Amino acid sequence: MAGSSMKAIKLRIKSVESTMQITKAMQLVATSKLRRAKERMENSKPYAAISREALMAAISRCEEPQIPFVTQREVKSRCYVVIAGERGLAGGYNANIFKTMEAVTGDTPYCVLPLGRKAIDKYERMGVPLMSADHDHVEGLSVSACYQLANQLIEGYRAEKYDEVFLVHTTFLSMMSQEVKVEKLLPVEKPSGETPRNVATIYEPGPAEMLEMVMPNFLAGRLYSALCDSFASEVSARRNAMDSATKNAGEMIDSLRLKFNRARQGAITQEITEIVAGAEN
Amino acid sequence: MATFHLQIVTPDRMAFDGRAEKIVVRTVNGDVCILPHHIDFAIPLAIGAARITDAEGKTRSAACNSGMLSVHADEVRLIAVTFEWDDDIDLERAKRAEAEAAEKLEALKRQNRDYTMAEAKLKRALTRIHVKEL
Repeated sequence: MAGSSMKAIKLRIKSVESTMQITKAMQLVATSKLRRAKERMENSKPYAAISREALMAAISRCEEPQIPFVTQREVKSRCYVVIAGERGLAGGYNANIFKTMEAVTGDTPYCVLPLGRKAIDKYERMGVPLMSADHDHVEGLSVSACYQLANQLIEGYRAEKYDEVFLVHTTFLSMMSQEVKVEKLLPVEKPSGETPRNVATIYEPGPAEMLEMVMPNFLAGRLYSALCDSFASEVSARRNAMDSATKNAGEMIDSLRLKFNRARQGAITQEITEIVAGAEN
Repeated sequence: MATFHLQIVTPDRMAFDGRAEKIVVRTVNGDVCILPHHIDFAIPLAIGAARITDAEGKTRSAACNSGMLSVHADEVRLIAVTFEWDDDIDLERAKRAEAEAAEKLEALKRQNRDYTMAEAKLKRALTRIHVKEL
């Protein structure tokens, strides 16, 4: 009776304790990874920004009516590059990405280039055509892998397998908040309203030819920086999730201890009452 | 000497950000040298050596691979796919890669004997035409 409930509580305390050990360990791992991930993210930012600026300058100088990678064509199908995590237990990190995806994909047919185990699993299950299912490890994706991906994306775009390419990734705002962003990669949106600057720039061979040559580099740089950004977001989301899980486990253990002590005291009191009652008879 | 602001970026880092006197890079049209007060200019890069003379007049070499060079109002930006300073190059690794690539090319050549033979035929024909025209 009282003894058995005491035993049950003790068991629960033990199981919560071991869960807490795991969440605590995961939190520590995430914390140590976070520093490096943030560094990588910061290092990947200048390239994306500078190459974007150069690209826009070249586009603003193109005079042809059909600019490669810029002129919009009728959208029959789309391609989404979805960057998710390799594992769960990162709060809403993966769920938020998939939720955003659901909101943006309309009736237009689409294919997905999933990066990260969770994204591959999700879209395989949904039966969406995948461009490749080889990239399950986001943390280890190198710059050269990004070049391969960029070339693959451009090849498909040229072959008109899809008419628009979007990038769905998470951007790191602060340790506490990350935001899912959907960005159009192809066709490149022309800088709006701006008057073409540096009109005197000499382009060799020409702005359009340069666009053709430089586009894969720009895309690869953008992918790499989005990957670094997403990974930093994932790690910090995991750190926060594990931090609150550890705190919750601690609170649970406290309240279970209180219950346990009450049960123990209750058992003792009952025993004493029984003994006293027996002596009085 | 006059200097200009030079930034060298690759996807994973900023390799150089400071003043420089001179930069020579291999572009798709051959080597190009940029000095201060260069006209606004943009060109895709090829694979080749780059030499940078910094504000102190010290020259450093680097292996620079594809990308683009842009000059705008004395701001020079080298947006490269990879950029390795000479000190950072792993010679052993590069030699291994060289051997591997050479082997692969050799194998491809053996596979394409017809191609090699057709190429030789073309060369012979071109020489004959050329000699006749002399």
